[in-house]
Amino acid sequence: MRQIAILITFFLLALSPSKAQKVKDLIREKPAYASCNYNTYPDSIPDNLTPAPAGKKPFYLSHYGRHGSRYISNRSGFDIPYRMMLHADSVDELTQTGQRVLDEIQIIMADTEDRWGELTTYGKEQHRKIGRRLVERFPEIFCPGARVKAISTTVPRCIESMGTAITEMLQVEPNLQFSMEASKRTMHYMNHQDNRFRKKYMTPEAQKAYDDYTASRMGNSRLMELIFKNPDIVKEIVDEEHFNYYLMKMGLFQLNTHLSQNTYLRDLFLIDELYLMWQIDNALWYIQHGACKLNGSRQPYSQQWLLRQLIADADSCLQLKQPGAQLRYGHETVLLPLVCLLGINGYDLETDNLDELEEKGWWCSSVFPMGSNVQFVFYRSNPKDKDVLLKVLLNEQEATLPIPTDSAPYYHWTDFRRYCLEKLERYQ
Amino acid sequence: MMKKLTLRILAVIFFVGSTTEIWAQTVAKELKADVNRTAGVFYSLPVTKEKDTPVPGGKKPFYINHYGCPASYYSLQPEDYEKPYAVFIQADSLGKLTKLGRDVLRRIKLVREDARNRSGELTEKGAQQSRQLMRQLVERFPDVFTEKGYYSGRSIVENHCILTMEHAMAQLSAMQHFSNYNSRATHRETNFLNPSDPTLTNRHTDSLTLVLYNRFADLQVDETRLMEALFTDQNFVITTIDPPTLSRQIFRLAGSIQHTELAGRVTLYDIFTPDELYHMWRQRNVWDYINYGACQLNGGDQPYLQRATLRNMIHMGDSMLNRYAPLVHTRYTKERVIMALACLMELDDCGVQTSNLDSLEHLGWANYRIAPKGGSIVMIHYRSERGDPDVLIKVLLNGKEARLPIYTDCAPYYHWRDVKYYYLRKLYRYENLRFNGNQNNR
Repeated sequence: MRQIAILITFFLLALSPSKAQKVKDLIREKPAYASCNYNTYPDSIPDNLTPAPAGKKPFYLSHYGRHGSRYISNRSGFDIPYRMMLHADSVDELTQTGQRVLDEIQIIMADTEDRWGELTTYGKEQHRKIGRRLVERFPEIFCPGARVKAISTTVPRCIESMGTAITEMLQVEPNLQFSMEASKRTMHYMNHQDNRFRKKYMTPEAQKAYDDYTASRMGNSRLMELIFKNPDIVKEIVDEEHFNYYLMKMGLFQLNTHLSQNTYLRDLFLIDELYLMWQIDNALWYIQHGACKLNGSRQPYSQQWLLRQLIADADSCLQLKQPGAQLRYGHETVLLPLVCLLGINGYDLETDNLDELEEKGWWCSSVFPMGSNVQFVFYRSNPKDKDVLLKVLLNEQEATLPIPTDSAPYYHWTDFRRYCLEKLERYQ
Repeated sequence: MMKKLTLRILAVIFFVGSTTEIWAQTVAKELKADVNRTAGVFYSLPVTKEKDTPVPGGKKPFYINHYGCPASYYSLQPEDYEKPYAVFIQADSLGKLTKLGRDVLRRIKLVREDARNRSGELTEKGAQQSRQLMRQLVERFPDVFTEKGYYSGRSIVENHCILTMEHAMAQLSAMQHFSNYNSRATHRETNFLNPSDPTLTNRHTDSLTLVLYNRFADLQVDETRLMEALFTDQNFVITTIDPPTLSRQIFRLAGSIQHTELAGRVTLYDIFTPDELYHMWRQRNVWDYINYGACQLNGGDQPYLQRATLRNMIHMGDSMLNRYAPLVHTRYTKERVIMALACLMELDDCGVQTSNLDSLEHLGWANYRIAPKGGSIVMIHYRSERGDPDVLIKVLLNGKEARLPIYTDCAPYYHWRDVKYYYLRKLYRYENLRFNGNQNNR
């Protein structure tokens, strides 16, 4: 009997998709992973870059990065569970745990007051490290006298991220010729939010698929019983699904701030519950920014202008002897669709089945944590070398492109350029 | 005896008269030497070589407390160029522009083209200016800038201030290895970086002050000459244009060019006579004085708007006394904060109190001297060693050693205890009067 049980267990294990297991493992290791765009940047990056093919040297780097960890942009997300808790407290419906939760919420609210959307110290630390690694990993590009052109969206946390990175880069190499700019003039590609896409992403088909997908995953009666004396009675004032979702977000968001050591709110939730939350959010991010068939797979094209700009910038920089680097600081709602548009690491996945996302590796949390970035590193043997190679780093790790190559993870610039322009052409 | 006394009185009168005359002349001379100064707070401070008086008793600087204006930036209001542009375009379409008028339109187009979609952004010149100012600070006070030092930057949440800070910090980073560095743009420190006090600010223009200001302004400029030079049809001017507004707009636009790459290639100052420029500057100078200076017409207490800032400076000075490693605080905030702070601290001639709006330049109160773009108030603290009971300070106003309203035996250095005593007493007196005194009177 026991043997049969073991056999069945083995059988079940073999059947369950390995990647689904992996997401849960990732969340177990790092709960922030469950909060998708509130995920924090890895504290360290393994140094495992593939050496360039013989004779090729890095000479130009083009980058788009997200600002570092920040406080939540506005109070509405925090206000939802806060007000529900206050209301429940006023009618004496909080358990002892509930009281403690309310205390914790109050600490968080007080800490965040007057700081909505501001870069946190942790966020600055992320950019300091990323900036330092840039110079240390590519000394050929960031050599004395090299030009580093940094631009940012006009959002203060992006400007500060840019300033922090540049300041740290100068600590490593003080003789960089840097410039910094934050201008409305570059917003059309630095932070292009296409209303046509934004408004239309939730087609009736997408809505239905999303509702079906999330129906079994929403809510959390265990949490309700933990916090409220009479969960049935408070239902009038506390929406279970909203409460669960926003309280969990609040707990996970703290990992971005200096209150990260206080994990009380986060620990209220079981790993399985965090995992369900990740699934719900991941599906929504896919519908919003991925090549989701349910809304015509068009969403990633919101970043067509940025991609065209990246190509145009590279075209002109390739003409120079020593082009240096171009750094751009913006937002996750740009970075994610850009990665999907380029098909980096298979994120151009097209499907209408939300259940497939997880097993096929479409995990948004890996793409756009706070501080996330895409780096395009260009290689050639000398300024006359026509065969320029390109390597893409997603969050400083070598990434793949949906293009054939004879020297992965290096790709031929001409192939990449053609691939992108043809893709954009087809879309037009 | 009598004759002697009269002579003495006459001599004093003559002396006083001649010094005020000299002041007025220096302002006029300064404006003439660099017409950009007429832009007042929109004057872009050039980075020039500054002198430092040797410190008495071999004391060394150990703490720098810096409050800076943003460096050069594009005008905040698109209307600054859109409105005059619209007037000129309309006049042009009706054929009402003179030859000069058409040329002015061409120039306004250039300025507009350059500034469009950049309102409030730091210019390239501003970025360079911020870096040069930091370079100068590091080179002037090398004792403070060491590897062990602590460097802190703060900015109000305003993009041109944040970028001014970031450029300064980056420049510092290129010159100095440090392990302790921190910068932030936050709403959290508004209470002293950019305080507000509606009760006080609501009082800066009471009706009498406004009447006097308007009369002063009306007497200053006559736009007829300018309108005749720009427009062929004065009937058109009368029916469609408000000459004082248009002339003010062009004047502002003229002042904004110095911040951009157009500087030296395009100007709008040439369409005004030197006299007109002088009077337009006076108008704006008086307005700044009423708003931020100790103008007796509105009670003379507008500078107290910055009392939290000054108090913070004193607190910080005290908390640094026992530090081992040197420390640098750089803060970036609005021009008006620096202006009112300079008036509150009575640096140089900033503290003048008068109800005579005509006398400002005689008394040396000139806005471009106080808070231009790139301007700053820097307090430097000196000691011979840690625990030195006689800490000295020196204040730089826009890079130059400033005079404080406090007795000292070693100007431009002042004894910290005297400085503290004077300013705290000043603040207490005001706060006592305002919050404990007769509410109706204050």
